[in-house]
Amino acid sequence: MRARLVSSMAAVLLASAAVAGAQTPPTKPEPAAGPSLGVVDVGYRGGATDGDEARFERYRDLRPGVATWFALDKQTDTFRAKAEAFNVGYRDQSYSGYFTNGALSVTGAFDSIPLNYLYDAPLIWTGDGQGRFTLPAALRRAVEGPTNVANDGTAVGVPCAPGAGPTTCNATTAGQALAARSIYNTIITPGDIAVKREIFDVKVGYIATPAFGFTVGYQSTGRTGSMPWNASYAFNNANQLPVPIDQRNNELRVGTEWVNAKGMVRVDYWGSYFRNDIQTLTWDNPIRATDYNNGLAPPLGPYDPSGYSNGNGPAVGQAALWPSNTLNSFGLTGMYKALPKTTVNGNVQLTYLRQNEALLPWSLNTSVNNPAVLAAFPGLRALPRSSAEASVNSLNALVNATSRPTRYLTLQARYRYNKHDNTTPHFNGSEYVRFDSVPEEFVDDPATTHIEGYSEYFQITRKNLDTNATFGLHEYGSIRVGYANEQFDREGRGFSQVNEDTLRVAYDATLFQMVTVRAMFDNSRRRGDGYILSGIDYEAGPAGTQPGLRYFDEADRNRAKGALVLSANPVGPLNLFVQLATTRDTFLADESIPVGREQFGLLSQDVNAVVAGVDFNPNEIVHLGASVGRDTFDALQKSRNANPPPDPTWTDPARNWTLDNNEVVTTFMANLDFEHFANAKADLHFTYERNDSDNAFNYGGPRIAALQSTNAFIALPNVVNEWQRLTADAKYYFTPAVGVGLSVWYDKFDVTDWATIDSNGPQGFNASTGVPRIDWLGGLMTGYGNRPYEGSRVFARLLYRF
Amino acid sequence: MRRFGNWALALATLLATASVGITALAEPQTSASPAGVTQATATVASAQQAPASGYVGAETCVGCHSGYDGTVARTKHGFKGNSRTPMAQQGCESCHGPGEAHASDPENVKPVQFDKVPATQANAQCQTCHNRGEHALWSGSQHENRNVKCIDCHSVHASQGPVLMRAKTQQLTCAKCHQTIANKQQRFNHMPVREGKMACSSCHNVHGSVNVKLLRAGTTVDQSCTSCHTEKRGPFLWEHAPVVDSCTTCHDSHGSNNDRILVAKLPFLCQRCHVTSRHPPTVYEGLTLQTSGNANKMFGKSCANCHQQVHGSNHPNGKYFLR
Repeated sequence: MRARLVSSMAAVLLASAAVAGAQTPPTKPEPAAGPSLGVVDVGYRGGATDGDEARFERYRDLRPGVATWFALDKQTDTFRAKAEAFNVGYRDQSYSGYFTNGALSVTGAFDSIPLNYLYDAPLIWTGDGQGRFTLPAALRRAVEGPTNVANDGTAVGVPCAPGAGPTTCNATTAGQALAARSIYNTIITPGDIAVKREIFDVKVGYIATPAFGFTVGYQSTGRTGSMPWNASYAFNNANQLPVPIDQRNNELRVGTEWVNAKGMVRVDYWGSYFRNDIQTLTWDNPIRATDYNNGLAPPLGPYDPSGYSNGNGPAVGQAALWPSNTLNSFGLTGMYKALPKTTVNGNVQLTYLRQNEALLPWSLNTSVNNPAVLAAFPGLRALPRSSAEASVNSLNALVNATSRPTRYLTLQARYRYNKHDNTTPHFNGSEYVRFDSVPEEFVDDPATTHIEGYSEYFQITRKNLDTNATFGLHEYGSIRVGYANEQFDREGRGFSQVNEDTLRVAYDATLFQMVTVRAMFDNSRRRGDGYILSGIDYEAGPAGTQPGLRYFDEADRNRAKGALVLSANPVGPLNLFVQLATTRDTFLADESIPVGREQFGLLSQDVNAVVAGVDFNPNEIVHLGASVGRDTFDALQKSRNANPPPDPTWTDPARNWTLDNNEVVTTFMANLDFEHFANAKADLHFTYERNDSDNAFNYGGPRIAALQSTNAFIALPNVVNEWQRLTADAKYYFTPAVGVGLSVWYDKFDVTDWATIDSNGPQGFNASTGVPRIDWLGGLMTGYGNRPYEGSRVFARLLYRF
Repeated sequence: MRRFGNWALALATLLATASVGITALAEPQTSASPAGVTQATATVASAQQAPASGYVGAETCVGCHSGYDGTVARTKHGFKGNSRTPMAQQGCESCHGPGEAHASDPENVKPVQFDKVPATQANAQCQTCHNRGEHALWSGSQHENRNVKCIDCHSVHASQGPVLMRAKTQQLTCAKCHQTIANKQQRFNHMPVREGKMACSSCHNVHGSVNVKLLRAGTTVDQSCTSCHTEKRGPFLWEHAPVVDSCTTCHDSHGSNNDRILVAKLPFLCQRCHVTSRHPPTVYEGLTLQTSGNANKMFGKSCANCHQQVHGSNHPNGKYFLR
């Protein structure tokens, strides 16, 4: 199905125009249209959008106005040149150029990619563009109240946080809390939250001799704008801000290679230098105008010793944003045809990551930065070091060997070694400040392998061996059998070593020139050694980690994985295909856990996908295609709603609960094209795409039953969405050079998501209004979320080919 | 000792690779392609001067196969300014082999027809030129292992897309076998592939790579992702273990119906691992969302409403990724 993915109007425009002069049926070539092709496509774009226009545009700029596309491809006996410009002047504009005279080639490009989060977002903090966000002092004082200590403000800052009551929420008080709106609703200022990525790229290649050449590439990527970013003070005081983005990455790639009929050697360098000009986020607390101070001495004050949960924190918080960093990588790649039927290739890559940005202070809170507190927490007097001193060295070595001793046998082996060695000195954070509010100290647990409160760095060494033998079956294709072993050595994770064995079989064939079959099945068994909790009493366990917990990305696992690609061309114009993919993961308890005891975390995961389609091309003009797909995702996980020992809930199986997350996704796509009809003067294209998802959250287990029995449980509604797009594109050329085009694009997105807060609450419980609400229980947000939209665009264009 | 062993292995591999390459350079240029297929590439200079033995020239070919020369002329293969292109060498016979015998007896002697020969033979002909840069690691790659032919994706004479692809776009080309993956672009959270700002090849080099999953950049999944998402590259003062291991533990880069292309919805994704004490294993359900200050652990960015720096923190207090 040729156009099953061509959905955007941009793609339609690009493809349809370019194809006009280039398409040739595979079995009966048409006379050459000439070595040059130029297209000017200029018109007006208009339309309307209801709902979340930022989501509708997402990675594009579809504002009404002049829409342009220009392309040139010229080739002579001495040079070839290409140039292209798209949507000139808009946030998604792009330009590219290419030139070669054979030995020298130069490619240049500029591409702007927007990422639109929310237009006219209801913003309350005032940002200075450099990461400092403020709120009006008068409003903060109205929330804080006159006494500083007591929650006696007259206004609501964050619902369910200190200020006007209720300061805590439950089934009885939540209604009142939601009805008493935050005072910050009075200062909402609409603003766009969007990021733009601009990429400038140039590459130069030079082939000095048929055997020797080199390439130099430079890329500079800038990101500017703002994105929703969270910055919180406590359990009941979560905030979201449009954090400013001002970043640039400069990248240099240099390579040179020598090649002849027997082999190849390449030496290359990749340097990437990332600079972030806004590394600090500082923001006013919406419920405190002054640092909380209860006048007591440590450990009872002057900070709020229970500030962990009630939000009596500082006036100002500070967070570290992304640090500038560098990557330097050196590679050596070689290939050698050792024997006429044996090839060996390999690569060694050394990569160095560095980051040494200055660290922010422990706290700006005056209730922490005072002599009495610093005497009680001497680790907070000064930072252990002034900068991150973060460093990773990695080594990658790869060897491939392929040999074909006979026509009917191919042997392949691949070995890959990859070491990620983090050499950053451990950072002593055993005394630290939580939420900028409360100084705390970690107590080391001798049962664990690391010192509690010190930073942990994760060392990983991967060793992968992959071997295959492929047996040819004459005209009946080939069967491949293989064995793979993947070994992970880790420091800092649950297992110190994980080993996975995989057996596979695959069959590939093209039968009778009309049927293509590709089938594979993998069966894997992953087991870990050196489980960190294996020597610890199961019932007690170290505080904070249930003994039966396995991190699913390294846990013992059985995996069965299969895929089938089947396509058939029973008669000339008709092509049919079916594709299947399935993966079933079952996660197991470590053998150190007593049989019959609890397992927690992800227990199993099934992912299945099937898609079937048809292409029908009855003649050179008409092309029809359609496909329908169905994906299912099923994941079962288990938790225990517990507090650490000696709390009895820690080992109480009645506190267990499960979640069966089940998603079903269907996809339908169709296209109908009429190409070069009306004496090759006209083109007509239609596409329709539909995707929907139904994501269910099915709870189970004794804890859920107990909550239900006390009316303390409400099942979450399914998260559902449906996305439909319809495009139509028509072109008519009055002369071989001059024509007109008309395109229509309709796009509709419906979504219901309980995580999106609208003016009347979560959509999953109330009808969507499309109006974001900033203040829900325990938070002040920007309003960003999943909301429906319906948009259309019409493009009327003049076309000129030369 | 173990560290020494790792570096020793690296050094040995380096030396082996280098010696292989040096040996290759020292070897005379000899035929390395499968039997029956021309070695025109190795004889570029002389071929341009006069047809070698057994060659008849493109003019003879198009005498019967009219139009085929035109399909090549406007492509890179037809650019005579580059001495390495087929049309700068023996024309049609650069790839299809000497045509003299076929021209003399067209019914009984056929030139190489790439759709009718085994993948290894067909691909070897392409590799006589495409044996460097992007294609250097084709041998041993996943696609080679499955006997994928170059012409399964590319068409020299009837391409519809860039780089001589059979289909109009990369997505369509890849979807021929990977439609179940390509369908994920239809989910409303996706990278801008369908918008034309990225392509499959932005992340993957389908011709072979040193990384896993044919990833183009770096040597691990996270190095590949952070080649664009450089702000998440770190290394950070405080690390989150799965970030270092693989971005795909939490993200489905091909598309998802969950925010930020997460593999599962928050907070449940976090609860796959964080089944510890206090609030991580709390039952987050509808009543919490409607009546509790803990609602802020469910709406919006859920866990990341507080643990925003989940990719790593550079703040002294960043152990829990709150700052």
